[in-house]
Amino acid sequence: MQQRTFLQSFVSKPEFGPLVLLVLELLIFWSFNSDFLSLPNISNTLSFTVELGLIALAMTMLMTAGEFDLSVGSVFGFSAVLMWTLFNSEVMPLGVAFLVAIAFSLFIGFINGWFVTKLNIPSFLVTLGMLLVVRGTALYVTDGFPQRTWTAEGNWFANLLAGSFFIGTFRMYMSVIWFAVAAFVAHYILTKSKAGNWIQASGGNPNAARARGVNVSRTKIYLFMASSAMAALAGIISSIRTSAANPNSGTGYELEVIAMVVIGGTVLTGGRGTIIGTVLGIFILRVMRNGIVMVGVPGLAYNIFIGAIILGMMALHSWLERRHNAGV
Amino acid sequence: MAEDLIRMEKINKFYGRIHALRDVSLTVKTQEVVGLLGDNGAGKSTLIKVLSGAVPLTSGDILIKGRKVELKSTADAIANGIETIFQDSALVPQLSIARNLFLGREPVKGSGFLNRLDQETMNASARELLRRVGITKDIPPETAISSLSGGERQAVAIARAMQFDSDLIILDEPTNNLGVAETQGVLRFVREARDTGHSCIFIAHNIHHVFQVVDRIIVMRGGRVVADDIDPKTTTIEEVERIITGEEMLNAITA
Repeated sequence: MQQRTFLQSFVSKPEFGPLVLLVLELLIFWSFNSDFLSLPNISNTLSFTVELGLIALAMTMLMTAGEFDLSVGSVFGFSAVLMWTLFNSEVMPLGVAFLVAIAFSLFIGFINGWFVTKLNIPSFLVTLGMLLVVRGTALYVTDGFPQRTWTAEGNWFANLLAGSFFIGTFRMYMSVIWFAVAAFVAHYILTKSKAGNWIQASGGNPNAARARGVNVSRTKIYLFMASSAMAALAGIISSIRTSAANPNSGTGYELEVIAMVVIGGTVLTGGRGTIIGTVLGIFILRVMRNGIVMVGVPGLAYNIFIGAIILGMMALHSWLERRHNAGV
Repeated sequence: MAEDLIRMEKINKFYGRIHALRDVSLTVKTQEVVGLLGDNGAGKSTLIKVLSGAVPLTSGDILIKGRKVELKSTADAIANGIETIFQDSALVPQLSIARNLFLGREPVKGSGFLNRLDQETMNASARELLRRVGITKDIPPETAISSLSGGERQAVAIARAMQFDSDLIILDEPTNNLGVAETQGVLRFVREARDTGHSCIFIAHNIHHVFQVVDRIIVMRGGRVVADDIDPKTTTIEEVERIITGEEMLNAITA
């Protein structure tokens, strides 16, 4: 009996569906191509998984508070361009250029949050506007050309952010460690801290939260800043790994990130979010991208699978929600 | 013993050109349950919104224990000991009972990183509180509000107001959509609140519910207080209904 209730509560958790899907996905790709679970491929997949993953973690908290951010893809491209432009023109060392880029992204996030909370404009419109402003700025200042990044060869700061080392024959990227730390911190904040209670309340019932003295506006502004800063960090790490800072990079990432978050079980309307679910969602989409290429499906078909996964998972979540409301 | 807790003096409220409250004066004594009655549009809701800090008053004074206060927000009102329980809007449905009870004043452990919530304290107090308001069913404090019944939600909201020593608890239609047993439960919480030293303003369309629990009835009509000292023990429901609809005035005119 005890066993069964444990199993039932496990199955009814929002993370259960994504977990099953991820395991299935891994098994299917592995059965088609045994190289799929080889160490070099795992290492390679991890390295580009965590970059979008960093953004998805912050987006999970923002969406739990009832808002979302469409400007992350633009900030992803712009911050790398900004950092490398400052560094290559020899105005400042890489570390300082990095801090300037992060500070700038925090400012972008603050403006997003300010428009949403003080002017009461839906985050969809505010961040759509910001998406265009930031992307436009990146294209304008670079004339549309990529920035050089090769000058960072051997730079200790670049290695700290996005370098790699070997554990035996396994190539471990620093970014994977940063992602693990960020995921742990985000999970802690959302579930264990006072701030997490405020984030959930801000999304679940902002009026009730406000009446209890919760500063809903400030909570949301901080989260917009966090989402922007994580997008900047991800963009910079990606630019170091690929040795390219392209003003166009990150285009369309905002939707992929939001997809990762909702597949994991966080609700679009706010109030409930799960970092564990998001981590699963991140891997589901990124493993899919890697896996369908490995099994020989043309990469262009990627979006078909992603779209189908989103629809399927939303159907599952809504079914679980109805079951939950019916008291099963 | 029965000193004035809240005194509202000559409150006026305009919504644009609409004069919603006209020179409303009323008092609520310590440990008193007051029923506020009136037809739709009589001004009850506006009065409650003013008292709960949700809308600003146009003119007039609010005194709490003889001290003049300004209520600019609902948080202000709560800080001054006035807790308003609006139907279904006071709680965050996705959060647990314990987290709702302590929302905005969460106990934290140590000076740790980012204020770690003290879940054990929260759960223990929540359990104790649920017992105090008489929820005998064994509901774990981790239960989300969304899986509670309407009556249980009211109970949690009332428990929260009692826990944080609000002097005045305003209940706006607390028995709407509730079954018979749940209504009796809510009425019992109101009596419990009074017996532990709180005052209440109780608003309900169902006059029978009001009669069962209040010490005094105030009736509003057309933005004014038309009766403020009706004793439910010596007055019949029919008489109160006539005051609410204004029939007794018509009778006076035709007589």
